[in-house]
Amino acid sequence: MEIIETSRRRFLKSGVALCVYASNLDALTCLPTYLTQPTSKSTNNIKEVPFLCNMCRNKCAGIGRVEQNILTKIDPNPLFPKSRNMICPKGNSGIQALYDIDRLKYPLKRVGVRGDGKYQRVTWDEAFEYIKDKLVDILKKEKDNRSTIVSCNGEGFNKDEYIKFFNGKIGSSNFLDEGSICLNTKLGATILTIGDIGEMDIEGSDFVLIAGANRFESLITPDSVDLARKQKEQKLVVLDPRATVTALKADEYLPINPGTDLALCLAMTYIAIENELYDKSFVKKYFKDFDKYKKHILDNKYTSKWAETKTHIPAQKIEKLTKEFFQAKRPLFYLGRRSVWSNNDFQLRRAMVLLNGLAGSINRQGGIILGKPIKLPEEEINSPLYANTKERFDLDGIIYGSKKGGSWLNFREKIVSNKAPYPVRAMFIRKHNLMQNMPNVSKTKKMLEMMDLVVVLDTMPTDTAIMADIILPECTYLEREDMVVSFGKLEPSLALRNRVIEPMFESKSMQDILKGLGEKLSKPLFDISKEFDEDLQDNIKELGEKQAFVDGGYDLAELYQKDVTQRNRELIEKNFGKEAYIMLKKDGVWYPNIKKYHREIFNGNFEYYPKDKRYYTIDKKFSVNCYLKKLAKNGEDAMPTWRDKYDFKVKDGHFRMITGRYVTETQSATTNNIMLREFSDTNHIWINNQVAKKLNIEVGDMVEVESSIGKIRIKAYPTNKIHPQAVWFAHGFNSKSFYMSNSYNNGANDNEIIEDKFEKIYGCATMHQTDVTIRKV
Amino acid sequence: MARYAMAFDYKLCINCKACEVACKEENGILLGADKHRLWINVKEPSGNFWDLDRDDVEYMPTQCNQCENPPCLEACPTKAIYIDDNGIVRLYKELCDLTQLCIKACPYDARYINSKDKIVDKCNFCSDTRLNRGLITTACQITCPSKVRIFGDLDNPNSEINQILKERNYFQLQPNKETKPKLFYLI
Repeated sequence: MEIIETSRRRFLKSGVALCVYASNLDALTCLPTYLTQPTSKSTNNIKEVPFLCNMCRNKCAGIGRVEQNILTKIDPNPLFPKSRNMICPKGNSGIQALYDIDRLKYPLKRVGVRGDGKYQRVTWDEAFEYIKDKLVDILKKEKDNRSTIVSCNGEGFNKDEYIKFFNGKIGSSNFLDEGSICLNTKLGATILTIGDIGEMDIEGSDFVLIAGANRFESLITPDSVDLARKQKEQKLVVLDPRATVTALKADEYLPINPGTDLALCLAMTYIAIENELYDKSFVKKYFKDFDKYKKHILDNKYTSKWAETKTHIPAQKIEKLTKEFFQAKRPLFYLGRRSVWSNNDFQLRRAMVLLNGLAGSINRQGGIILGKPIKLPEEEINSPLYANTKERFDLDGIIYGSKKGGSWLNFREKIVSNKAPYPVRAMFIRKHNLMQNMPNVSKTKKMLEMMDLVVVLDTMPTDTAIMADIILPECTYLEREDMVVSFGKLEPSLALRNRVIEPMFESKSMQDILKGLGEKLSKPLFDISKEFDEDLQDNIKELGEKQAFVDGGYDLAELYQKDVTQRNRELIEKNFGKEAYIMLKKDGVWYPNIKKYHREIFNGNFEYYPKDKRYYTIDKKFSVNCYLKKLAKNGEDAMPTWRDKYDFKVKDGHFRMITGRYVTETQSATTNNIMLREFSDTNHIWINNQVAKKLNIEVGDMVEVESSIGKIRIKAYPTNKIHPQAVWFAHGFNSKSFYMSNSYNNGANDNEIIEDKFEKIYGCATMHQTDVTIRKV
Repeated sequence: MARYAMAFDYKLCINCKACEVACKEENGILLGADKHRLWINVKEPSGNFWDLDRDDVEYMPTQCNQCENPPCLEACPTKAIYIDDNGIVRLYKELCDLTQLCIKACPYDARYINSKDKIVDKCNFCSDTRLNRGLITTACQITCPSKVRIFGDLDNPNSEINQILKERNYFQLQPNKETKPKLFYLI
């Protein structure tokens, strides 16, 4: 999107002031003043360190160039199958995340009221001491019900370790992650339908159909890269109520009413069944309850004409699309990787998986791959069993739901409406900007205000951080080694995030933070259990206190007796050999036969596995489940079904609010990044140009957008690229924390107007179910 | 000795800005300004939403054309501009006195005032940075998700750029100006 009215030059004022350029270097870098600039031009002093990016959830492999302990450039790591030898604009801007002058530098203790941003610098020990005193008090009040402590985590890396600490060691049942404000319906629909979350093989497909996922502006590797590099003889068709870059670059673009993709899927299913276009031998071999599904689809008469009335896509185009899809050799209905939009989202994903199944595109090239990931053994720890810990409640009323990450909106609703079965008093929040990331910010604020203790671990002074009592500065992904991770099912590999530079200021890695916290908390929290936990009391009688402590696993810092480097070494050498460890440390990536298989084809395009060694098809039993009994039992549709409530209807003068992102931003995590602000210096609301004309709205006009829960002000961008009854703007803007110099009070936050509705199958927030009005101000 | 050039498989460009960020980070380009060193020319669709005409949609990366016959060089009264051993149009920084005649002479609008160094600046295929360190990649080319850019030596018959120029048709910008540009747009 190019918006002419936005003057980037105004950033000359704020932006450049932050950057001091090395004057005696030919290679100039934009580095803040607090760094000693690298002065040497010699290549001898250059160190290249392989790492994994963390500018989004994706994890691509990069190589950091370090000169005199300063990271001066990031290049792609050509060895990693997943990221295909590229670094996106955000990855390249990681340097500015590392050297962001607004970074959290020291532990902070709140001295004002929550949200006013008044903090005092404290030592790590003072911060831990404060947390300990509060937790002792809280757990006494709650008679050692550990579930009164809630933890949440929005970062992919180290999440399992974080869970091990708070749910395993400390013993709470409550953990929440971003899944319920992200893509849990997709994961759930795939698992429940074919028993695996699968992996989509875009590279191997000759016909890719995408509904709404914006792969060219929301980059996911390898999917986006494989699409962008355009495979030979591949056709890409995109459905979207907004002409995204993905839609504009597709071979065919079908504009569609918001929230009606399911109707299109059902019509495609109808056409395939009625005309017997589907892969009969595949269906016979793998489908369960196909006859039920067939009857259901035919009885409901999901014809192309019917779907035209729902989707606004002409019937003959739906017919043509379906025929092309089923005539393709290896068609793929791309399942997306995006937040939950409509209340029918789970059923939509199910219908997509079933269409892939009807085409035989499961467990084969170009379809949903089951594959063979490299298995990494879990590090075992001994977790205490607490007799007084109560069950989690955020999945009450949710039919499936993720047992791991739960349901944020259901959880928050129960807290703020005082319907939680027991008081929740403490919250540990890691890299999870709750104040910006979920619909209806005012409820999140209320929830946090109800806590006796809020602790935030983050790299930036986010809106959520300034609601905390204690802020613990975590180092960025470039300043730490993380545990080795297994990636991919089709072209599997291991990748290691190495430490590029030492942690800056007083920041620490999550492991070091939990180690310190664990050492501080172990004894005092054990003493509380001793008072309230009868099982522990019995154990102490039997074994003595010391032994009961050790055997019961009450040493909360147990996992951190060894540092990450040592843990990696032991884990990797034991399971994959010394050579694998050496390569992971030196090159960042390893997989069996990497040296034999990995080769450059042309101009930075690599082959990672020869075609006959990729795991397109594996010998694994699976079935495609058309009918889910549990849904029927709970009053939901056991098979994908259209309901009247799914119809796209917007009152006169109203618009359906849809949301998304710019290619240069990862939600609120990057909107303070000085480099990325070059390309997305604020957000604008897209409104159809013909509608805007009637409303007398021009480019750059300030408009007020109002929903049932709030209103925001934002600049307008009239365009022919959006549905006349929808408006769109990018998520993640307008921080309320004035410590975020670049994102503070800039643009608008969608979650101030998106209503907090959630679907009941996975408890996921439905982001596209809010209607708004818009007026020029 | 080389004759460096760049080919663009430009229809693959998704306008993600990775090249621009990589360039700014590698070469220390001032923030807050458009079209410094490299940029993408964007053409949007026409028509109304339900019937968009996408034929014109285009993301076209561009930058200094590294002309073999550079009008900027001719125009410079202080002889600050020269062609180096790699065929790259370069600048003797100390000779540049900002007459800006090169900016006017450049048919590709590739030159701009670098207010920090007080010179007229433009893309030099990472000569000061990557090539100087012995690499034969540019920051924009190596990072590109679509692998739009093919950088290499026209004098090396085995270079990838020569291979692709043999295999594919291409056009160049403003050939009538007889600047002999070294950017090639593959079709």
